Amino acid sequence: MTATKVAQDSSGSLRRRSNFSVVSILENYALVLLLALVFVFFTVNPQSSSTFPTLANLNVILGSQAVVSLVALAALFPIVAGYFDFSLGAIAATAQVASAGLMASAHAPLWVAVLVPIIGGGLIGVVNGALVSRLQMPPFVTTLGVAILLAGLIQWFTNGQSIVAGINPAIMQFGSSRLLGLPTVVFVVLAVAVAAWYFFTHTPYGRSLYAIGSNASSAKLVGIRVDRNVWTSFIISGVIAGGAGVMQLSRQGSATAGDGNSLLFAALAAVFLGATAIKPGFFNVVGTIVGAIFVSISVSGLTLSGASGWASPVFNGLALLVAVGLSTYLGRRKRRS
Amino acid sequence: MGQVKSPVSRAAGGTPVALDIRGVSKHFGGTKALSEVSMRVRKGKVHALLGGNGSGKSTLIKVLAGVFPADSGTFSIATREYDSGQYSSSDAQASGLRFVHQDLGLFDDMSIEENFALDAGYPTGIGSKIRWKQLYNRVRDLLIAYEIDADPKTKIRSLRPSDRTMVAIARALQDQDADDLILVLDEPTSTLANHESSLLLEKVRRRADLGQTVILVSHRLQEVLSVAHDFTVFRDGEVAGTLIDAAPSEDELIELMAGRTIGALKPSGGVSHQASEEILRIHDLYSGPLKGINLAVNRGEIVGIAGLVGSGRSSLIKSIFGVLRPRQGSILFRGQPFEPSGVHQAMTAGVGLVPEDRGREAGFADLSVRDNLALGQLRENWVRGFMPRSRESSIARALIERFKVRVSGPEALFSSMSGGNQQKVILARWLQRSPTLLLLDEPTQGVDVMSRADIYAAIRVSVENGSAVIVASSDMSELHALCDRVVVVRNGQITDELDSSRIDIDLLNRLVLKDAS
Ligand SMILES: Nc1ncnc2c1ncn2[C@@H]1O[C@H](COP(=O)(O)OP(=O)(O)OP(=O)(O)O)[C@@H](O)[C@H]1O
Ligand SMILES: [Mg+2]
Repeated sequence: MTATKVAQDSSGSLRRRSNFSVVSILENYALVLLLALVFVFFTVNPQSSSTFPTLANLNVILGSQAVVSLVALAALFPIVAGYFDFSLGAIAATAQVASAGLMASAHAPLWVAVLVPIIGGGLIGVVNGALVSRLQMPPFVTTLGVAILLAGLIQWFTNGQSIVAGINPAIMQFGSSRLLGLPTVVFVVLAVAVAAWYFFTHTPYGRSLYAIGSNASSAKLVGIRVDRNVWTSFIISGVIAGGAGVMQLSRQGSATAGDGNSLLFAALAAVFLGATAIKPGFFNVVGTIVGAIFVSISVSGLTLSGASGWASPVFNGLALLVAVGLSTYLGRRKRRS
Repeated sequence: MGQVKSPVSRAAGGTPVALDIRGVSKHFGGTKALSEVSMRVRKGKVHALLGGNGSGKSTLIKVLAGVFPADSGTFSIATREYDSGQYSSSDAQASGLRFVHQDLGLFDDMSIEENFALDAGYPTGIGSKIRWKQLYNRVRDLLIAYEIDADPKTKIRSLRPSDRTMVAIARALQDQDADDLILVLDEPTSTLANHESSLLLEKVRRRADLGQTVILVSHRLQEVLSVAHDFTVFRDGEVAGTLIDAAPSEDELIELMAGRTIGALKPSGGVSHQASEEILRIHDLYSGPLKGINLAVNRGEIVGIAGLVGSGRSSLIKSIFGVLRPRQGSILFRGQPFEPSGVHQAMTAGVGLVPEDRGREAGFADLSVRDNLALGQLRENWVRGFMPRSRESSIARALIERFKVRVSGPEALFSSMSGGNQQKVILARWLQRSPTLLLLDEPTQGVDVMSRADIYAAIRVSVENGSAVIVASSDMSELHALCDRVVVVRNGQITDELDSSRIDIDLLNRLVLKDAS
């Protein structure tokens, strides 16, 4: 599905251009350019120039970006097919708490504490997908319901307390370890991103998700198993979100009793920003990663410039609005020209 | 503003001119859709706008509707002058242009009167109370004026197809004295059966006799000839000819459209296929509205299905393709029982379907032509774990060439093509698979006469290479030109069967209509 359609449903979408004019190159890489500008800004800005461009901070940015990217990649699967999974943040939060709980209360071995939450994420995806594709329930409200339910279960399980003690140190070591000078988690994201890119551009299944997003009835009549593929997209999405939760635990070393919404919103901002870049008008993997880095750099820069806790939600909200607005505007303009 | 009727320009013969278009040009990227187009529409006349697929007809209409501005040119509508640069959709409305698009924009589950009211507003009394009686009476008078034989409380769904179009027309013209309005119809008949479209056009013609100005776009030249006074013919975005108060022959029009002489469509069928392998046998099939269908189709054969909308034509096709699950009866495909659990199984077995509704069931509007072609071939295009774009592009380019699709290239958006060219892409999507059994539901709707011949030839070729084809069509001349055999479906049953020597357009029309209410 194209960006504008999710955002605005009935209105048309962005147009891809075949000619490589200067304008179209600028358009494809506008977000990358903006990313560079933001980076330069916080580097020279006197309030953040001492802390922002340091190696330590860049590693922090890359590390925190990793979890957002993973949730964003998870969100991409149903969104490309025109479905919206609101429960991804909650799935990640649940996986984080579950993994911590398995280690702290059940003293489960590391591999169990890692695998079980990821499989659990997949199972929630199975439920989401079944409700949406089999029972034809409206995706937005359905996954919102699942999200609220999961947040409630987290409260019940943790009593609102953070799980700090009893976390296996190995997982925390992984979260703070480096490979080739970069946080190891970055390579995990990279691997997932490459797999997702391959999936969307080079497998019949990935291509069929774009077809479903464009026109589900037509997709059915060219032999695409629409229900099954939509269902699977929710499962893949749940698995990746579960993985994101475990990664979050490895980075933070503890599990807070949150609902995961801030994670989801940052991820959505990344996905929608991503649809304005690289392949404008289409949700795509590379754009999504650029979007996630953009969001992380901006939030970090703002925080280091002295803005406080409210900065990141405000920024994410604005980024989301701008991204959706931009894609709608571009779509309208191109349809006329 | 309609009352100031001062310096109206007059065309030859003294009839006032309702709409005068001068030197309108419009390009999309590198494509020149209209260049220096001029056209004069006389008041109270039916003006046919003709031309091949992608010749610019719809573009001109969209310019007139203010959907997008033209690059240059001017038009005067009644007494107003507009420069194409400063013209908007509200100007179109104010100057009296009214458009009825192919997708009529009616609410099927609402009554006629509600559809009228949703457009023009409900008449209200004290406290915004809706005056149903007043609405009812007004709509009833309109229905009488437009010769629609129905009560205002009738649901749109239960109207016959031509009446639905009439309702849309009456609704578009309801708010003003219709004589001051210009009615623009873009392909109003392309999905109607022959007799429905002649019914519709007769009514349109009678409105014109009473003073209504009409611009009509259609690829069905026969009907156009029977209703239009004036003709403007486009070719490649230019005016190839203007005929005022003329009665040209079909061949003359085709020659103007094509820029060369083209033989009329001749029947290509006629071979008997009794001896060849049986591809499909349907026995006592009950599905949707179908009540006991028996049909056999042999290799190398093109079988036509004639029938009214709702007679079960599309249900028959969809049952074979695994979209509809039959209640009873059996289908044998190449001698084997065939019960596809879904479209993918039917496709794997070698069946293909070009559905009736291009926009809703076949096209991917916001994807490229390359994607639209490749999506019918996903598995086949997956080689050694990859789906290289270059490969898809070269396949797409070859198909574009083979089917003479007018498009800038494989990366152009599906929605940027004209309607007829979109239809060719859908046909190409299926013919590239060389299916054993190809099901076609209204395969050439909106396709121009020239391309129609090309498409029939392409279907013939695939049949000669061993396919079997079933064509459902409401265009009897299509069945006449294409089929080896035609079966007539009425009320869910096959009532007649004609072999090629007996296929005759008038006979088909009569058989289809027999004892239909
Ligand atoms: N939005 C658009 N973007 C790019 N090209 C367009 C767009 N709309 C139309 N065109 C191009 O303009 C040309 C004229 O198209 P138009 O739709 O006016 O043809 P038409 O005469 O209505 O054809 P048909 O009989 O097939 O409906 C075509 O080459 C078409 O591809
Ligand atoms: Mg058109």
